[in-house]
Amino acid sequence: MKKVLASLLVLGGLSFLTAGGTFALLNSEESNPGASIASGTLTFSNVVNAGTACFSYGGPASPGNVNNTCQALFVATTQNYPNVQATAQVKIANNGSLDASDLSVYMPSCTNTVTPGAPTPGGGNPCAAGGAQLYLQETDSSFAATKCWFPAGPTTCTFAANALSVFATNFATSAGALDLGSGPAHAQTRYFVVGMELPSTASNTLQGQAAQFGLTWHLTN
Amino acid sequence: MTELKKLLLGLMLLGAVTYFGGGGTWASFSAETSNGGNGISSGTLTMSDQINTGGLCLTTNAASANNVNPACGAALTLTNVAPGIAASTAKITIQNTGSIDASKFAVWASSTNATLNAAITSGNSVTSLTVSGLEGTVASGDTIVLSYGANTQTFLATAVATPPATTISVQASPPGPATANANYPIGATVTDTTSDTNSGSTAANNTDCYDRQTTSPGTVGATKGTDLNFNPILGNPFCARALLFVQETTGGLNYCWYGSGSPIDPIAPAVGEAVSGLCAIPIIGVTTSGVLTFPGNITSIPITPTTLNGSVSAGDQIVVTSGAHTETFTAGAAANFLIGSTGVTSIPVTSQAVTTPTFPAGSTVVDLTAANAMNSDTTSTLANFDTAHHSTGPIQLPPVTASGTANATASVQLAHNASRTFLVGLYMPAPSGINQNFLQGLVSTFGITWHIDQ
Repeated sequence: MKKVLASLLVLGGLSFLTAGGTFALLNSEESNPGASIASGTLTFSNVVNAGTACFSYGGPASPGNVNNTCQALFVATTQNYPNVQATAQVKIANNGSLDASDLSVYMPSCTNTVTPGAPTPGGGNPCAAGGAQLYLQETDSSFAATKCWFPAGPTTCTFAANALSVFATNFATSAGALDLGSGPAHAQTRYFVVGMELPSTASNTLQGQAAQFGLTWHLTN
Repeated sequence: MTELKKLLLGLMLLGAVTYFGGGGTWASFSAETSNGGNGISSGTLTMSDQINTGGLCLTTNAASANNVNPACGAALTLTNVAPGIAASTAKITIQNTGSIDASKFAVWASSTNATLNAAITSGNSVTSLTVSGLEGTVASGDTIVLSYGANTQTFLATAVATPPATTISVQASPPGPATANANYPIGATVTDTTSDTNSGSTAANNTDCYDRQTTSPGTVGATKGTDLNFNPILGNPFCARALLFVQETTGGLNYCWYGSGSPIDPIAPAVGEAVSGLCAIPIIGVTTSGVLTFPGNITSIPITPTTLNGSVSAGDQIVVTSGAHTETFTAGAAANFLIGSTGVTSIPVTSQAVTTPTFPAGSTVVDLTAANAMNSDTTSTLANFDTAHHSTGPIQLPPVTASGTANATASVQLAHNASRTFLVGLYMPAPSGINQNFLQGLVSTFGITWHIDQ
């Protein structure tokens, strides 16, 4: 009897394992969860003279990381005279986690306006040829000259005729910006001095006229 | 013997025969043997998972006691990544540690998953699951499967749960009050089987891969994701952009199972890597170890082996740069310069004269063809891996018989004791002319699942 029962058990087992229909196969599985990729950041601050830091991410969410409301380098209400320089120090500090591969600067516009409070504007255009002059000087952290970016020259910049007009014409867009080379690296700062002057040969038509312009600094990684 | 005795003896024998032969029957001769000690024992189908040279992660000792180990190590942890920098890879070795050959071997994107962090007692009401390590977002209405040992129970999520949530609100499936059908101890697996499918609600937000703003800076003192106002995570934008590749390298034979150059989800235009079995992984930042002298006839570019980080296919454009000087060469043969390919000291190129001044040692070398392929690839993303290749759309892994060739009809895909090796990598593309600021300060987290069947 036991032998008969054992045989039936084997038969039943074989039927279970080999007969048609579905049956459970063996399987095994492993997962590697938690893989991650985190992007860095490329942001910077712009400090004019002894002012407060103006951050690239302080602007609106769209387009994002563009801040057009940083402090002006020069104030139009400050009256300038021929052959008298005005300078502004600009510190570009990379406070992102990634190095910048390139820094550039451009002037989206230069607009001729009347000097606020001027009684008899001359009607000339300081943005045009014969008008104001500009230079862009890179320095070390103590603002000692290291390289003249515009007008291109040796270490120390000098004013050149029509410089503001030339800059406004040649470096008016992001695509056509003045390339200032690589950097700053993350946690590093680059220092610049921007100089402005009415030439000693300035025409009286420039009296009571103002050039309103912006300088846009652009970092890429 | 007297006649009487013979008669009596015969009657005794007759009686004996009658006795042993049963009622009315004569007893036959009989004989008997037994085959004792029988047994039927099953084989085993188990596996191990090893990342780089780390320890083995086994299915046999998983906390869920069901030959499924959902908690092997993370393949990669990349930080402070920028668009266009060299890809990073990890080597994953999968071994069939069982006694039975696996007829099927597959890889797929993990579903949104977690592990149970508070035990559930059989018969108790269940309104929520306390979990740890939630990876991916649970959408309301998703099917949640709890599993431990031979027991499983299916629930329906009643609310959204996003990482780092520790609770998933549930009801029974079909809808109604849920009662535990068994004991589920801590460590039981929790799987959202509706996730990663295009039919899941708001699929981009219901995948295993999910984005968060970084809360730690990539470098000390730097801005982090939460400092920024232009990097929203809705729709997991980084998952939808970061590229994944799975490159097999078993026995020196290459096959790109997922990524730029894979025949599984081919990209257009096609890249040469599909023929060589290599995923398109651009070499970036590789440096020359020797001088390329003007006007010399160059047939190979000497490179520093420790800087190798990609793959090169025959015909690829190889650009050498030193300062403002660049020279473009054509790769003469395919080569895999990924992890483990130390000893490769040059890239063969078709013979070409140098047209610009000498390139000194330390000049940079870039595979421009592979770089362009990856930078324009919108197919091989983490998000597409999740939605195209989850558990119901696995990437089968038949054995590779030659670089770029797999035997789809092989009856065994991972034999017992056999192992197969893969390079899993990530790359953040740098598409030309596209502002990717919205991806700054984000972290994408995802999983990969390996599976074998008898």
